[in-house]
Amino acid sequence: MTEREKNFPALLERLAPKCSELMARYEQKRSALLPIVHLFQEHEGYVSGEAMAATAEMLEITPAEVEGAVSFYTLFYRRPVGKYMLQVCRGLACTINGAEDIMAYFREKLGIGHLQTTDDGLFSYEEVECLAACDRATCMEVNLEFAYDLIPQKIDEMLAAMRAGEYGVAPMAQTDVPGRTWSIAADAQIAFGQKSQGAVEVEDPNNPGGIGDESGTIMLDHLINRDVYLFGKTTERAVVEARALVETIDERTNHAGH
Amino acid sequence: MPVTKILTAGIGEVDMRGIGAYRQRGGYKQWERVVRELQPSDVLDLAEKSGLRGRGGAAFPTARKWSFLPSDKQLRYLVCNCDEAEPGTFKDHMLLEDAPHLVLEGMLIGAYGIACHHAFIYIRGEFKRGYEIFCAALEEARNAGYLGRSIFGGVYDLEITVHRGAGAYICGEETGLLNSLEGKRGEPRLKPPFPAVEGLYGMPTVVNNVETLAYLVPILERGAQWFASVGTERSKGYKIVSVSGHVRNPGNYEVALGTTVREIIELAGGLRPGRKFMAVQPGGGSSACIFEEHLNLPYDYESMTKAGSMLGSGGFVVFDDSTDFVNAAYNLVRFFAHESCGQCTPCREGGSWMERVLERLVQGRGIPGDYEMLLRVSGSITGLNLCALGDSIEPFLKSVMLRFPDQFKSRVAAEAGRQW
Repeated sequence: MTEREKNFPALLERLAPKCSELMARYEQKRSALLPIVHLFQEHEGYVSGEAMAATAEMLEITPAEVEGAVSFYTLFYRRPVGKYMLQVCRGLACTINGAEDIMAYFREKLGIGHLQTTDDGLFSYEEVECLAACDRATCMEVNLEFAYDLIPQKIDEMLAAMRAGEYGVAPMAQTDVPGRTWSIAADAQIAFGQKSQGAVEVEDPNNPGGIGDESGTIMLDHLINRDVYLFGKTTERAVVEARALVETIDERTNHAGH
Repeated sequence: MPVTKILTAGIGEVDMRGIGAYRQRGGYKQWERVVRELQPSDVLDLAEKSGLRGRGGAAFPTARKWSFLPSDKQLRYLVCNCDEAEPGTFKDHMLLEDAPHLVLEGMLIGAYGIACHHAFIYIRGEFKRGYEIFCAALEEARNAGYLGRSIFGGVYDLEITVHRGAGAYICGEETGLLNSLEGKRGEPRLKPPFPAVEGLYGMPTVVNNVETLAYLVPILERGAQWFASVGTERSKGYKIVSVSGHVRNPGNYEVALGTTVREIIELAGGLRPGRKFMAVQPGGGSSACIFEEHLNLPYDYESMTKAGSMLGSGGFVVFDDSTDFVNAAYNLVRFFAHESCGQCTPCREGGSWMERVLERLVQGRGIPGDYEMLLRVSGSITGLNLCALGDSIEPFLKSVMLRFPDQFKSRVAAEAGRQW
């Protein structure tokens, strides 16, 4: 059990009154889904499986409905991200004012590509759609706070300030170690051999059961270690079931072998 | 023609985020007058006489939208749409951050106009700062007694809930917005029934844009006649135009409708030195480009439509001769493909396949026939979708393809072979 998982019951207890207050703002409590998920993400840095399960329970809907909704929105991260989420605008007005060069500069300086997180877990980088600040192109958001009129020198200063912990925007909560990408879609793309633009040396694609995962073990590991797929089941049961599954597969393979 | 300052008055000069500063400029006087002296039907009447049309993009007459509410149902909702994400549009962002009380007063008046007791504002997830500013303004107004129970000691009650989105362009579409507000995926609904009949929680709902509601304040203050006397025959009043791209002073410029396209470009300082005008996209990412021959057209709903484009949300992107239109088209098509909610096949599949074709054109790896195929595919997406997103893929692409065919055709690889 990770530190975050241990702390989750206490966090839930702490946030429960706020959640109730959010639900009371609407005629139907399901409407509080986005605000509650925002709240959990604020405290955990991403939307954990536990957070989604708790949300489902509070709103009296199924976990699938919660994850279905959460997965629709790009600002909800279903896996851990860096402390600074750098979202650079790739909208048309920014693009015709040099956003492509700015994005290339970011990728070079960070050593990562679109939808990726640096190894030290400090930065996550994403190229996002028009941020509605076209008069001050090129623009970006750092943890959802705007930065405008980007030029290389300014980017250097910003990154240095973030590394030194002196940047004007507070880092996000980080309760788990981020992987290479937080985007499940991008992960699948990597599995299909497509690197995201500017990706640097994707050697371990952390394949979630796509092509290349011939034995199915990665998928299995995914099922066991990611609670999000296991609502309503205890971790123990999941492990037992997964073992049973492995045994079945082994048996079949053996049969096939003979 | 000088820039006018109605909604934009004081923005960039004074800090109007505090309720004191806003009241000093006459803020909430109209709200008080509405509650004390007017009936909801009076507000509707004023909105109708002013000729105010929706400023979010669809330009539907505001009063007519309100009048679709069934009169036999008392429970109804107003939703203020502040999910501004149309590429090239940044007016609501500014109003929210710099004039939150004006937005709020507009919402209050609109809610009174349709006689609802619970209103919502849906704020784009990326506008975290704006969300905080608006929440603070709402708190101030609540403490001042401008909303809540028995406002100004009368019989009218009104509650406002602020709802923050989480990153989805499609939630700017009104039924997608309503689904998102109900805690669901922001997928647009089949229409009819329209929200005015069956909207939030299945009840009659009006969804109005931030700028539309904000204009109710000056209309109340100066009269419907004042607003209706400005503009052209069917496009009345003022509009905030978000000018960006290759101009010297990009920014929000509030103009009377009917100001010419050329004048708007000049307001924004004109083109950069030594550059030549190529095109302007006058109504956000969903609109077609207009060109040199359209520069003297009045910027109003009818003229833009007649020129083959639309006024839309007022996102006004200017392109000079440094523009790579293939890349620009790729950028927008990629945007729509990315933001497609995936419900309708033409939009979901058409958009992403066109993105791939345009990507290879950008890289100079096009294959013969790509030009014709793009036109054919984009044409067969339009009109076949639940909402307007699918229909938005074609206009810009088609307009620049027909205007600058060489830019596209020159990207076909000399020795073409299928890449995949």
